[in-house]
Amino acid sequence: MSETDALEARLAALTDEDLSRGLDLFRAKLGGAEAAYLQTCVRCGLCADACHYHRTDHELASIPAHKLAQVAAVFRAHFTAAGRLAPGLTGARRFDRDMARAWVEALFGRCSLCGRCSLNCTTGIHIAAVLKAARGTLTEMGLIPADLLQVVTTSLETGNNMGISRDDWIETVQWIEEEMQQDVGDPAARIPVDKQGARVLFTVNPREPKFFPLCLQASATVLNAAGEDWTVAGEGWDLTNYGLFSASPAHGGAIAANLMASMDRLGCGTLVIGECGHGFAAARWEAAEWLQKRPGFRIVSFLELMEEYFQQGRLRVDPAKITERATLHDPCNTVRHGGIVEPQRAILRRCLADFVEMTPNRAENFCCGGGGGQLSMSRYRQKRLQSGGVKAEQIRRTGARLVVAPCHNCIDQLMELNREYKLGVVIKTVAEVVADALVRTPAQTLEEHHGTVAR
Amino acid sequence: MEALRIGVVVCGLGAAVALAVQAVRARAYGRRPLYAPASGSAARGVLYAFGPGMSPTAKESTRTHPWAYALGVAYHLGVFAALGCLLLLLVGAERACDPATIPGRALGVLLFAGALGGLGLFVRRYATAHLRGLSVPDDALANLLTTGFVALAAARQRTPAAEPALLAAAMLLLCYVPLGKIRHCVFFFVSRRHLGRHFGRRGTFPLRH
Repeated sequence: MSETDALEARLAALTDEDLSRGLDLFRAKLGGAEAAYLQTCVRCGLCADACHYHRTDHELASIPAHKLAQVAAVFRAHFTAAGRLAPGLTGARRFDRDMARAWVEALFGRCSLCGRCSLNCTTGIHIAAVLKAARGTLTEMGLIPADLLQVVTTSLETGNNMGISRDDWIETVQWIEEEMQQDVGDPAARIPVDKQGARVLFTVNPREPKFFPLCLQASATVLNAAGEDWTVAGEGWDLTNYGLFSASPAHGGAIAANLMASMDRLGCGTLVIGECGHGFAAARWEAAEWLQKRPGFRIVSFLELMEEYFQQGRLRVDPAKITERATLHDPCNTVRHGGIVEPQRAILRRCLADFVEMTPNRAENFCCGGGGGQLSMSRYRQKRLQSGGVKAEQIRRTGARLVVAPCHNCIDQLMELNREYKLGVVIKTVAEVVADALVRTPAQTLEEHHGTVAR
Repeated sequence: MEALRIGVVVCGLGAAVALAVQAVRARAYGRRPLYAPASGSAARGVLYAFGPGMSPTAKESTRTHPWAYALGVAYHLGVFAALGCLLLLLVGAERACDPATIPGRALGVLLFAGALGGLGLFVRRYATAHLRGLSVPDDALANLLTTGFVALAAARQRTPAAEPALLAAAMLLLCYVPLGKIRHCVFFFVSRRHLGRHFGRRGTFPLRH
């Protein structure tokens, strides 16, 4: 049975008890903010062009207000007097099998939870927050696309979302370390594993050891060049957290606990989230809420840390080393949801001779189409590629040959867009750009570095 | 006439109570404690959400739809002006609305612009395919009741003969407020505050362009 058929079968098999339980789950996910958001929309429709789905398919169902209306209709029908008294007047609709199907299509199939509509809502509705609450309801009802759930399950079962064994991870790290030593000409350059009491625990997206070892090598090169006292973890090293996309606090909390346990085990002072948008948002903003515990350490994006190195004079770069025109993609979870807006720009302005911004940029950026777990949901692949047309056009208009994207999900999507829309660009992380632009001083031992760098 | 005035007051109180109940009920869904340390300021976010964040240039949605934005602003100014007129009427100070005076003339402009704004938004809604698709009967009814109220306030400024119609329209409008989308007169402020707090804490607000 195909994934699509399986989900259809689950929808068809929904009983009244399932639907009633779904309503209870939905109710439990609403706070005062969501309850207010659900009663605020005036259906002005000005959010339509904010959505990359609607911009590319022009379908009514892709308008954020329409997606919100699917959820608000249920809220009205079941939780408001007006909706019960006059459902036809207010657009209230009961949560039945058809409505559950409409939710699945709207929330998983036409939304990457990028939040651009929230910033563009004229009345101030955080639309993405409402859609996330409804998505979480579907997940807990078992109405989540199986391939998205599989990523979560793999994380829960193996500690990382690609099922990489500890031996493979350690072996890959050692191999990348050797490559880095040769590349920088410094046999003392290290990728420490499980170093107790290191100042920084650096966390990694499993796509790096699996498919993009040069990204990890670049990050390690930068950390070594800055003379950082750092380590990766032998266990609990994966920064990704697809609980953010299943929108289930149980998933998110269980996965986030891996990183927290690594911090406790190694006694590090700062948890550094490598270049991954959703990983950063999950660890920095959501983990504490899922676990209902304030972290006892600092959690920062690698972008922030690299910018700190520059400000402290710990890295030297030569922008003349990268002369091609470059632009920056703003991952939604890093920028709009994460609040990390300027560090990446400051870094790139130091490292690049010809850096141009996309239009729009920063928190107003367009989603590349790969967010919200879209990359893992095969049934929506065509829609995802179509919605990425907005980003492809943004890139094309810059005339850039190099696209810098501090997020692996974005990079995967951008690589597909590169092929689909024949953009002819190279895509790199910020750390790769920094590593390429580094001016390497004669080999120094880490101890010498540590002795000279004031912290 | 006195009975109509009392009716308006009763309907107004009823609407206020119903809206307050709705706001309290929404609030009762709970506010979760936040554990992640803030990197920005929730207060600055709220100030931004109610200040620069509402300017026409702050959002792409309004930047790229200046006419819709202008109609909306005119409409809302007209509604506030009409409510002001109604209040003056209820307290017997309708002379303050006299179109022979400068404030009265300004009020007349706001009311006229407001009625045009409401009409413009009505036409826009049903002349635009995607807006038609989004619409429910509440959209038409809310607009007609509100635009009618503003237009009748403008008419009352010219002739006292329009007063009974204005008071009747006000009663209908006030009765409808808690039932449909006009409740955004309360939830707009609640939502914007939540939005400002959320993005302010994360350092996204104030937006940098």
